[in-house]
Amino acid sequence: MLKKHLLIFCASLFVLSNVTAQDDLLSELDDDSVDTSYELPAFKAMKIGNLQSTKMADKGDFYLIVSHRFGALKEGFDTFLGLDEANTKIQLLYSFWEGVQFSLSRESYNRTFAASAKVRLARQSSKMPFNIVGYTTINRNTLIDETIFPALESNDRNSYATQLLVSRRFSENFSFQIAPTYVRENLQNLNVLPEANHNQFAMGFGGRYKISKRMSLNAEYVYNMSRPDGSPFDNSYAFGLDIETGGHVFQLLFTNAQSTNEPGFINNAEGDILFGFNIVRVF
Amino acid sequence: MKKSLLLVFLFLTTATFAQKYYTKTGLTEFKASVEAFEPVEAKNNSTSAVLKVETGDIAALLFMKAFNFRVALMQEHFNENYMDSNKFPKATFKGKIEGFNLSEISDSKEYTLKGILTVRGVKKEVTTLAKFTKQGDKLRLQASFGVKPEDFEIKIPKIVSKKIAGTINISLDYEFIEKK
Repeated sequence: MLKKHLLIFCASLFVLSNVTAQDDLLSELDDDSVDTSYELPAFKAMKIGNLQSTKMADKGDFYLIVSHRFGALKEGFDTFLGLDEANTKIQLLYSFWEGVQFSLSRESYNRTFAASAKVRLARQSSKMPFNIVGYTTINRNTLIDETIFPALESNDRNSYATQLLVSRRFSENFSFQIAPTYVRENLQNLNVLPEANHNQFAMGFGGRYKISKRMSLNAEYVYNMSRPDGSPFDNSYAFGLDIETGGHVFQLLFTNAQSTNEPGFINNAEGDILFGFNIVRVF
Repeated sequence: MKKSLLLVFLFLTTATFAQKYYTKTGLTEFKASVEAFEPVEAKNNSTSAVLKVETGDIAALLFMKAFNFRVALMQEHFNENYMDSNKFPKATFKGKIEGFNLSEISDSKEYTLKGILTVRGVKKEVTTLAKFTKQGDKLRLQASFGVKPEDFEIKIPKIVSKKIAGTINISLDYEFIEKK
């Protein structure tokens, strides 16, 4: 009798353990697998608006970026809401190695040629909470005329910016970035500035919120900590919409800075709101 | 009495120490390329899978973001725009190899593999032939089957629909080793 009971008991045990084992096969895998892959990029384009983002070109990717910043909206119909006063920038960008990106550009504002480099230091994953990218650029103003300013030295035309970009994609839709920045301007216009201040420090803040798979709202603000009292320039801001279509990203934005280069918009934002866009095309 | 105790012990051991084969580096590939357009294909070589020898039960799991594309931007779009990889990070398979018998695989043998594939939280039944090959202590599984993007509610915009194949070919190559 006892024997029979025992047999039934262990038979049911056997069946039971088999059933649970079957169900557990998948959860067994679930338990000891960790996603070690990198988080998707925090931003769609290399810029949030004016401010550089942690997004970089992948190795071998070639980008053409065309940016326009128009005149102040308040000029109204005289300049057709600023459209007559476009600052045009054409930028070529390439990545020779994974995590390193170079670019060359020319913008109409001060006829500025610029070269820049971006290097990825860390990438967000389950082990790393942030994307960390270093960015540096050199700008050369080719507008200043030596016949008008005979004392001008070649070096005076240059300005520089170095930034540390730290971002995190907090959720599928929300990303935020901070950007401690150092800007060096060799030449400053003392007719408009109360005092020379060649070295300036700033802190940039930017974020994006995805409103659909291919669109996001972006906003940024750069606080310049070294701006002297009485400076005619303002801290820059930008806000706008990103539209990604696969090979293109269209960034439509409003900002208070005409220049799209870091020394330009971080130190010399004019303050009046204007319309602009960046078109990012990958080849 | 002693006999039945022995039986209990026997059952318990088989239940807890069921023979299993597993891998963590299984290769799962998909091809959605259309001729004359840029190839749309990717490899995932960190698929984990486990096979229970007695019953032929099999389960597999992979992370969508671990699919490697040749073009990194394509990989980003795959995860962000098509697969919603942050919302649905995993794809799983749970099924059975019909009539599986490890001892009858001397060199290689084909069995019917049947189960449920879950991608983007959507389940789809899959049936295909799986080829098993014994290579020393290793047991290799190779199989392939086709799925359609609409099976998993993947929306493809009209503008790119010509560049993505209607049927996506998925192939598996898992080298199992015995779990001890």
